[in-house]
Amino acid sequence: MNKDKVKIGIYELTGCAGDALLILDCENELLDIFKAADIQSFSMAKSDNIDGNLDVVLVEGSVSTEREVEELKDIRKRSQLVVAIGLCATVGGIQARFTNPKEWEKNFKKVYGDVKMEHTPPLQSKPIDDYVKVDYYLPGCPIGKEQFLHLFTRIVKGAPPEKYPRPVCVTCKFKENDCLLNRDILCLGPLTADGCGAACISHNLPCVGCWGPVEGANLTSEYYLLKEKGFDVEYIKKKMANYSGTKIAEFFEKIKEEKK
Amino acid sequence: MKKISVDHLARVEGNGGISATIDGNAVTDVKFTIYEGPRLVERLTVGRTPEEDVSIAPRICAICTLSHKYAAIRAMENALSVKVSPKVYLLRELMHMGEMIESHSLHLYFLALPDYLGFPNVVSMASKYDFEAKIGLEMKNFANHVMKTISARYIHGENPVIGGFGKYPSKEELVWIKSRAIQFMPFVMKTVQLFCEIDYPDCPEDETVFACCNPPENKFGFHGEEILLSTGDTIDKDNYTNLTNEFVVPHSYAKHSLYQGKPFSVGALARVNNLGERLEGESQKMYQKYFSERWKKNPLFNNAAQALEILHCFERIPKLVDEILEHSQNPPIQTYQVKEGKGTGLVEAPRGLLVHHYEISEGRVSHTDIITPTAQNAEDIERYCYIAAQKLLDNGEEDKIRDRMDLVVRAYDPCISCSAHLAEVKKAPQENWKEQLDQIKQKGTPIFVGVGKKDHNDDGSGIELALHLKKRGVEDVWLESEIEEDKFGRQENGSRPLLFLDAVDFRENPGKITILPLHYVLSNASLSHRFLPFLSSGLNYQQLKNSFVLGIQPQSLDEGHKLSPSVRKAMGQVIEQITH
Repeated sequence: MNKDKVKIGIYELTGCAGDALLILDCENELLDIFKAADIQSFSMAKSDNIDGNLDVVLVEGSVSTEREVEELKDIRKRSQLVVAIGLCATVGGIQARFTNPKEWEKNFKKVYGDVKMEHTPPLQSKPIDDYVKVDYYLPGCPIGKEQFLHLFTRIVKGAPPEKYPRPVCVTCKFKENDCLLNRDILCLGPLTADGCGAACISHNLPCVGCWGPVEGANLTSEYYLLKEKGFDVEYIKKKMANYSGTKIAEFFEKIKEEKK
Repeated sequence: MKKISVDHLARVEGNGGISATIDGNAVTDVKFTIYEGPRLVERLTVGRTPEEDVSIAPRICAICTLSHKYAAIRAMENALSVKVSPKVYLLRELMHMGEMIESHSLHLYFLALPDYLGFPNVVSMASKYDFEAKIGLEMKNFANHVMKTISARYIHGENPVIGGFGKYPSKEELVWIKSRAIQFMPFVMKTVQLFCEIDYPDCPEDETVFACCNPPENKFGFHGEEILLSTGDTIDKDNYTNLTNEFVVPHSYAKHSLYQGKPFSVGALARVNNLGERLEGESQKMYQKYFSERWKKNPLFNNAAQALEILHCFERIPKLVDEILEHSQNPPIQTYQVKEGKGTGLVEAPRGLLVHHYEISEGRVSHTDIITPTAQNAEDIERYCYIAAQKLLDNGEEDKIRDRMDLVVRAYDPCISCSAHLAEVKKAPQENWKEQLDQIKQKGTPIFVGVGKKDHNDDGSGIELALHLKKRGVEDVWLESEIEEDKFGRQENGSRPLLFLDAVDFRENPGKITILPLHYVLSNASLSHRFLPFLSSGLNYQQLKNSFVLGIQPQSLDEGHKLSPSVRKAMGQVIEQITH
C-alpha cells in the first residue's frame, strides 16, 4: 500500500472509547490524519482493517478480560512502538480503583451475581503496562486534542513523542486563575498531569484529577496540606484514588512508610 | 451446523460482535456479543459524594457523556431536593442538543452512510462524496463546539454540576451558536433528504414496543419525568424497573432488559414513533413527508429518525438561545443540606432512554443503578438479526446474512462502552437432540407440556406425544388446555426445565426432531404466538431461560392431517428417550 508512510493501528480495550472518539473529533485535521499516515486498523472509524505488522500502535482502554490480554500481547508482537493513550491505558482508569483483588471480586459479584460468564473470563482492570512493555504514554480522560496532534505529528515523522512532566497548575497559572487551594477548596491540580488547559479551574471548579498522577508530583506534601486544611483523611484518599488507577496503591504505601 | 459471524463490528462505538448459528434451514442462535470487559461503574460510585459521582459516572461513555452527566445530575437533584433556575434548565437542554447532533452526525455520516454508498470508511467515501463528508464533519464540529462552550471540554466536560454551572457561557458565545445554527439549515435539510430517501431493505421487519421519555408540555424533546410506551402506557420515573427489569445473560457483560417478557427498542426511532406528532415547523413537515408504517417495524429507519432529530435540534437551538438570553443573571450554584434521599433521573441519550438512580445516605452514595440504552436494545438487536438471518436463509440469500446483521446492529447505533456491563458468546453447536435432552434432564426433572392443534402448522403430534407419556406414567405431563393462570408461577422458581412438545415446521424431512431454546422460537413470528398463552400465565424470565421446545417436523402443514409414519416413528424415539 503506502510504502513510505508510517503504519499505524489504533486499538480499543475496555473503556469509554473517548480517546478514539477524540481522534474523530479532530474534524478539521481528520482527512489529513488519514493522508499523513497509513492507518491500517481503527475499528471505530473504518471497516477494512488489517491486523498486520505495524510501526506504531495507539492503545486505549484498560485490560479487563483474558481475551484482551491475548489481544494486547498480539498487538505488542506486531508493532515497533506501543503508545498508551488515555487514563485507562496509562493507569487503568476509574475501573482500576478496586486495587484489592478481594474487594474487586466482591463488587463484581454485586453487579453480576453468580452468573458464570460463558465467554471470556473477567479480570480486575489493569493498565496495559502490567502486561506488555509500553514505549510512550499520553494521559488524559480522554486525551486532549492538542497533545494528541503533537504526538501524532511527531510519530508520523519518526520523532519520539514529547513528554509533559508538568502538573495542571502550570497552565492554570498561565491562565491567571485564582488558586482554589487558597480558598480551601480541595483541588487536585498540583498532583495531576497537565493537558486539559486547566479546564475545570478555569470554570471555577476544582480539578478532579482526570489526567492521572503527574510524574514526580509530591503526593505526600499535598496529602498533608489538605489534612492541615481540615479535610477528612478518608475523603482525601478517596478523592485521590478516583482517577489514579492502580498507581494509587504505591502512593498509599509510601505515606504509610513515611509515617513510620 | 455453521456459524456466520462478524467478530469485530467496525464503525460502532466500542468493541463487539454479532453471530448467527445455522442448522440446516433454521437459524438456531443469534448473539450480540460485547468484548468490553466489566468496569463495575455502578459500584465505583458507591461511597462517593454526589459531586464525585456526577464526575465519575459519565466516564461510562465518551459519546453519551453529557447524557450521563445530565441524567446523573437530574437524579441527584431529585434525591437532594435541589431546584435550579430556568436559565440552568435551558442551558442543560442546549448542551444536550449539542450531544444529540454530535452523536447523530457521527453515526449517520461516519458510521452508517459508508455502508449505503459502498465504502469502508468516511475518508475513502470523501473521495467521491466530498460534499456529504464535509457536511458530516462540519456538523459534528459545530456540535462539539456547543458542547465545549457549555461543558468545558469536548468529552467529559465538568462544567455542569449539581445545582447549576461552574461558569456560564457569554452572550457572544451563545449568539455565535445561534447564528451558526441558522446558517446550517440548508445542509440539515439536505441531511434529512439524504437519510429519509435511502432505499432501506425491507428485511428485517417486525412489530416491537417502543419506549422513550415523555417530555413535558406535550413537546418533542429529550428528557421527562415519565416513560412513554408505544402501547400508550406510561411509567413514572420512580417505577422505571417496571420497564427495564435488567437481568444478566451469560454471554455478555451488558445486562439485557425485557418489558413484560418482550424485547423493546429505544432510540431515535422510538422517539419519532412515539412523539413524531409533536414535532414542529420544518421537522413536522418532513415527518409528514417521510414517515410511514414501515418506521414502526424496521430498525433500519433509525437512521432516518436520527436525521429528523438533527433537524429538530437545529430548529430548536436559535429559539433556545433567545430564551436563555432573556435571563441576564447568572445564578450561582445551588447548595443543599440534604444528606439522605433517593432519586431517579431520566433523559434520552442519543441512542435511547437512559436512567440513573441513586440512594444517598449520610451524604454519600449508598446505591447506584444505571440503565443504558444499548443494554435495553440488546434483546431487540438479537431478535431483528434473527429475523433477518432466517428470512435471508429462506430466500436462499445466505451470503447476505453477515452484511445484513452488520447493518442492523449499526442502525441501532449501539454504544458498547455505554452498556456499562458488556461481552461475548460462543456456544458449542448441539446437533444431537438425544444429547440435548439428557443435558436438559441434568438441570432437573423436566415438566412436559403438549402443545398444538391450534393452527395450520400442526399435525397434532405434540398433544399425542404428551398423552402417550401420561399413559406411560411419566410425571408432570401437562396439556396446553390444562394451563391456567399462574400455573407456572406456582412451580418452584424455574429450577425445573420446561419442555414444550410440538409439531414445528423447520422445512426439514418429516420426522426430524429438533430441540431449541424457547427463547429463539419466540423470535420467530410464525411460531411465537402459539407460546403466548404460556408466557401470560406467569412464566418468569428464569423459567423462560430454562424452557425448550422439542419439535417434530410434520409431513404436511394442513390442519387435521393424519400423523405420517415417519412422524410416528419419531414420536416413538422421543418416548423411548424420555422413559428409558
